[in-house]
Amino acid sequence: MEEIIKDISSQEYKEGFVTEVAQEYVPKGLNEEIIRLISAKKGEPEWMLDFRLGAFRKWQQMTLPQWGHLKLPPIDFQDIIYWAAPKRAEDRPDEIDPALMETFDKLGIPLREREMLAGVKPKGEVAVDAVFDSVSVTTTFRKSLAEKGIIFCSFSEAVREHPDLVRKYLASVVPVGDNFYAALNSAVFSDGSFCYIPKGVKCPMDLSSYFRINAAGTGQFERTLIIADEGSSVSYMEGCTAPMRDENQLHAAVVEIVVEKDADVKYSTVQNWYPGDAQGRGGILNLVTKRGICKGSGSHLSWTQVETGSAVTWKYPSTILLGDHSSSEFYSVAMTNNYQQADTGTKMIHLGRGTRSRVVSKGISAGHSENSYRGLVQMGPGADGGRNYSQCDSLLIGSSCGAHTFPVIRNQNPRAVVEHEATTSKISEDQLFYCTQRGIAPEDAVALIVGGYAREVLSRLPMEFAVEAQKLLSVSLEGAVG
Amino acid sequence: MDSRVYILGRDSAPQYLRLEAGEELAMTLVVPPGTDVQYSLEVDLCGPGAGLDLAGLYLCPGSERVELRVLVRHSAGGCNSRQLFKGIVGGTARALFDGLIYVAPDAQKTQAYQENHTLLLSETARTESRPQLEIYADDVQCSHGATTGYLNPEELFYMRSRGIPEAEARRLQMQAFLAPVIRRLSDAAAEEIYASLP
Repeated sequence: MEEIIKDISSQEYKEGFVTEVAQEYVPKGLNEEIIRLISAKKGEPEWMLDFRLGAFRKWQQMTLPQWGHLKLPPIDFQDIIYWAAPKRAEDRPDEIDPALMETFDKLGIPLREREMLAGVKPKGEVAVDAVFDSVSVTTTFRKSLAEKGIIFCSFSEAVREHPDLVRKYLASVVPVGDNFYAALNSAVFSDGSFCYIPKGVKCPMDLSSYFRINAAGTGQFERTLIIADEGSSVSYMEGCTAPMRDENQLHAAVVEIVVEKDADVKYSTVQNWYPGDAQGRGGILNLVTKRGICKGSGSHLSWTQVETGSAVTWKYPSTILLGDHSSSEFYSVAMTNNYQQADTGTKMIHLGRGTRSRVVSKGISAGHSENSYRGLVQMGPGADGGRNYSQCDSLLIGSSCGAHTFPVIRNQNPRAVVEHEATTSKISEDQLFYCTQRGIAPEDAVALIVGGYAREVLSRLPMEFAVEAQKLLSVSLEGAVG
Repeated sequence: MDSRVYILGRDSAPQYLRLEAGEELAMTLVVPPGTDVQYSLEVDLCGPGAGLDLAGLYLCPGSERVELRVLVRHSAGGCNSRQLFKGIVGGTARALFDGLIYVAPDAQKTQAYQENHTLLLSETARTESRPQLEIYADDVQCSHGATTGYLNPEELFYMRSRGIPEAEARRLQMQAFLAPVIRRLSDAAAEEIYASLP
């Protein structure tokens, strides 16, 4: 058993390569000058700069949140490069740098729109917005999406081409001063994805953002804004990787989702940032604010996340259920190994009548890692007939890791029902014995058992993602059994 | 097994208990109506085979402020703990239950369970429940459950359709809800609780 665990934790991070590409940076550090410089580089209008400066002034008065069950290395916010981009001749060249193309090919992200073969309909096409360090490199399938009225582009383009939409919705779900990292992001955010689905339109393909950190000494601060207008629906996926480095790199993103009446949004994440090495050196600090609002009646928002990477994860995708009879789900698998730390969970804030939510969280900790679920379920005074069910399971592999559950249930309505349950267990010798005795290698047996444990969540992912997530789980576990 | 009952606000209840190897303790906490209380209890299970059976109920039909904080610390392996807390909150009362089960590294073969259920009776009452687990050993069985809800209208209808007056039916529902804890009290104490149901 010990040997198996050792094997499982020794697997390498295969996305850890660095791409050699000419890049330009802004100087290190953070002050109003830097923010003006970033804004100027992006050619932003005055209101955007004012937004950034306002956020920066708020941020300066805020302090780091300390309540997480995390040991964060000290972050020197003046020692970070806040903007890095591959050099290019014009704003959005027709030709993508072959080095970048190769990078994304290597990561399995198609940047070319595959040509349709005669008579063969491509199955499961995905439109991708690829973000490399601080800029969006390309967005595919824009034309075919535009035919349906769907806007899917980089955030910078949205600021230029659809300022009305951006001004209306930006910071409407995550206010500028929401928390320390959200304020920092609002001040310095570089790029990200913008998506608008017009009334009654069902998005014909999955939309996807892919984030890649490449440059050393930089942080990535992207911002995603998704708006689903009345009766529309969309499935959105997000993926990310970074090179292996001995230093910690900061990733502080903000995702905002607005779901109007009867609209349906499904947001899936497979988070695979570099987790640091087996001794806990380096890795990404993933400090992210994600929140959606079910604004209209009958709207629906579903979060699915698979968290395998990052040295530190601090992330609580949340839903505000404002519209009557709106509903939301949160499905999560968080896997930590070696010295990784994760403090993740969700907030379900019920405000409208007959709102429903469901939380299924599966934590897996191995090695010396710490894995916490932290959640809030709140029934407001107006949430008549509100209903929530939460289930948080933890799986411990090895005796030096920790698994924790910190839920808060707040009820202010005598016609609402909240249920929460949590369990903690380990992979039993019996289960392993059963598998090995049938000729299944111990590593495979562990992967099999973990896969079964996480199945309820993995089955919610879009197909391409589910396969990747399954692989990631078994890879992340390498060397954990013993 | 040692078995103790404390009425908070009347009896002086312990704030820290230490259970050595093989020691077993059953303890019941009662917060009667009209009691404002901030109570915290820490129980340390520090020898193998120690066992804790803890239960509590809080009745807050008026304008009470009740805060119960319980920390059960499994410092040694092979111990088991069980907690059951039930509350009924109405009027403009505020009730908080904060319970943490802590399992130290190497406290293997721990079994720990915790349950917290509350009923909300009015628009202006507030409840908060924080059942927490902090676990540093792998060969353990730990679980917790928490629910908040209200008196089931279908049960009420069933009883009323059989000629039981509404007030009586509501009292029966509350009695049934509290029964697992009330069972642990003396007859006199149980009578007092029954009589004070809103």
